[in-house]
Amino acid sequence: MTIKYTIDELIVYRAAQEIRDGEMVVIGQGIGMAAGVLARSTHAPNSVILSEAGIVGIDPFKVPLHIADMSAFRGYTYGCDMMDAFTCIANQGYVDVAFLGVGQMDKYGNVNSVYIGNPDNFEMRLSGAGGAPEFAAYSMRTVFTMSGGQFVKKLDYLTSPGYLEGGNSRYKAGMPAGSGPAAVITQDGVFKFDQITKEIFLSSVHPGKDVEKIKSKIPWDLKVAVNLEVTKLPSEKDLEFIRTFAPFITMGRKLQIECNINRIFKMLTKASEQKEN
Amino acid sequence: MEKYMNVDKRMTMEDAISKYVNDGESFVYANCLTGMPLALTHELIRSGKKNLMLFDQASIEEIDMLIEARVIDRLVTTFNFRVGGKRTTSPLERALKERRLKIEELSNLTMLSMMKAGAMGYSFIPVLSGIKMADFVKRSNYLGNQRFGEVKDPFTGKKQLVVKGYNPDFAFMHVQRADTAGNGQMWGAMFNSKWAALAANKIILTCEKIVDAEVIKSSPHLTIAPSFKVCAVIECPWGAHPSELAGFYDNDFPFRALYFATLGSSASIKTWMDEWIYGIKDRGEYLAHYVEKLGTESLDVLRAKPRLSVPADYGNANSYEWDESGYNRSLDMNMSQFVEFLDKKGVLLQS
Repeated sequence: MTIKYTIDELIVYRAAQEIRDGEMVVIGQGIGMAAGVLARSTHAPNSVILSEAGIVGIDPFKVPLHIADMSAFRGYTYGCDMMDAFTCIANQGYVDVAFLGVGQMDKYGNVNSVYIGNPDNFEMRLSGAGGAPEFAAYSMRTVFTMSGGQFVKKLDYLTSPGYLEGGNSRYKAGMPAGSGPAAVITQDGVFKFDQITKEIFLSSVHPGKDVEKIKSKIPWDLKVAVNLEVTKLPSEKDLEFIRTFAPFITMGRKLQIECNINRIFKMLTKASEQKEN
Repeated sequence: MEKYMNVDKRMTMEDAISKYVNDGESFVYANCLTGMPLALTHELIRSGKKNLMLFDQASIEEIDMLIEARVIDRLVTTFNFRVGGKRTTSPLERALKERRLKIEELSNLTMLSMMKAGAMGYSFIPVLSGIKMADFVKRSNYLGNQRFGEVKDPFTGKKQLVVKGYNPDFAFMHVQRADTAGNGQMWGAMFNSKWAALAANKIILTCEKIVDAEVIKSSPHLTIAPSFKVCAVIECPWGAHPSELAGFYDNDFPFRALYFATLGSSASIKTWMDEWIYGIKDRGEYLAHYVEKLGTESLDVLRAKPRLSVPADYGNANSYEWDESGYNRSLDMNMSQFVEFLDKKGVLLQS
């Protein structure tokens, strides 16, 4: 049977597989949230979704617009605040997985989400660090979903520590033993990190993607798993869930913009017609 | 810290800003992303105040507005929502490039810790040391070394990263309800609200609804802005639009998209501000203009449907010292027996 899916649906499905049942998961952005809710509805019903806004145990019925969007869910089990989320929760080791976005990433999973170019004379200021640095440092595993970001040899600005210079350097710098980046899911494939050297490698490719093409986009000699896999596809049921819960994630960024422009245009036209009548 | 009485502090937003805001001061938003005091922000822009320093944890729209209106020239932040790709620029980026604005970059926790230390009256507070190699720790701007430090933990001997405590001159805050003295109550994502509000020397408060003081007394766990810190309270329905507020309204994405579409140039954002801020008197006029331009339905679909929290029962046995008949159960006496008892024991002094 042929399955028709979008690339963003594949990323959501694959990201959901990173969550194990019973885990506490920090989620901010859209793809991560769709993945978390999918995981809860399938293999990880006892996982707990929280955000640094101090909301723990949320069950969104649509994708929240931001990390404190009260219009996307009804109720939750624990209302604390941001101070509590980083200290009493993250610093005490309660966060199993954090889903984070990427502006730039180097080969050891260190991330930049503030300045592109020299910070004193930048090309672009991205949205900023937000809660990423401490979650990257203190969550047991970090999972990155990359839609617009890029891999670079050297970050323009270090926002969130990954494995620093590789090996044990992360733990020598004081971050919790065993913690660190676990997976990077891009439009091309899934990347993981070597257990000893902590260097990133290509672990699986999405169907139809070419390893050499993926390697050519990365500015160092990317290591590839000996037993390179092809990313498993979501089932019809998974896809139905994702489309129902997050149609705007399913369609991807370009179509999102197109649909939003249409929506606003219709709204303005309708209002001006009503005014004339 | 300034201290305010538990008296009626209702006034207009215009009066509150002219009375309590001075050029060159620092201020903090005691809301973050959700329930934003945007009506207050628009009034601040209309007031023409300038050279302010802003502590803003994370912004969707207010930072760009305040920059374009030349209200702020110094900013401490961790996040400013950016739309579009490389080909577009944001007001924040343009202001930094043109050296009209100085910025300090932080992370959410380090910035809130500056507020928490300030609120508690400490000059510094520990933060999570694992991030000390990050560039926002290493690279400082106009605050120089007045952000991060390292101390020796007296108990473990380990090095501990710390941040300096700050007390902004005032906080802007929007909540669901308050009494006339400004005891403000908030529920939902609490984010930075407690520590930002308590760090400021005073709070300028807006609320959806002014309620009777008895409502506050029946639910003190919801009070986040205590009246002794509040200098002014203003009832302002839809005061956080286009952000959302639990129990009142959802966020208004289409309206925001219209704003985002203007951020690419100073001229276009100026046109937006002329229409929605400078050409408008207050939030009432803003709503009227909204309905005229975007239709009643666009606003109505945002209205929250009720979902009440089960009330907390603060009751007790109401066992007063003296019951209705004047009898005291713990003493097993009435008042005249009590006075007689005191007299007999010789503890009553004579005038």
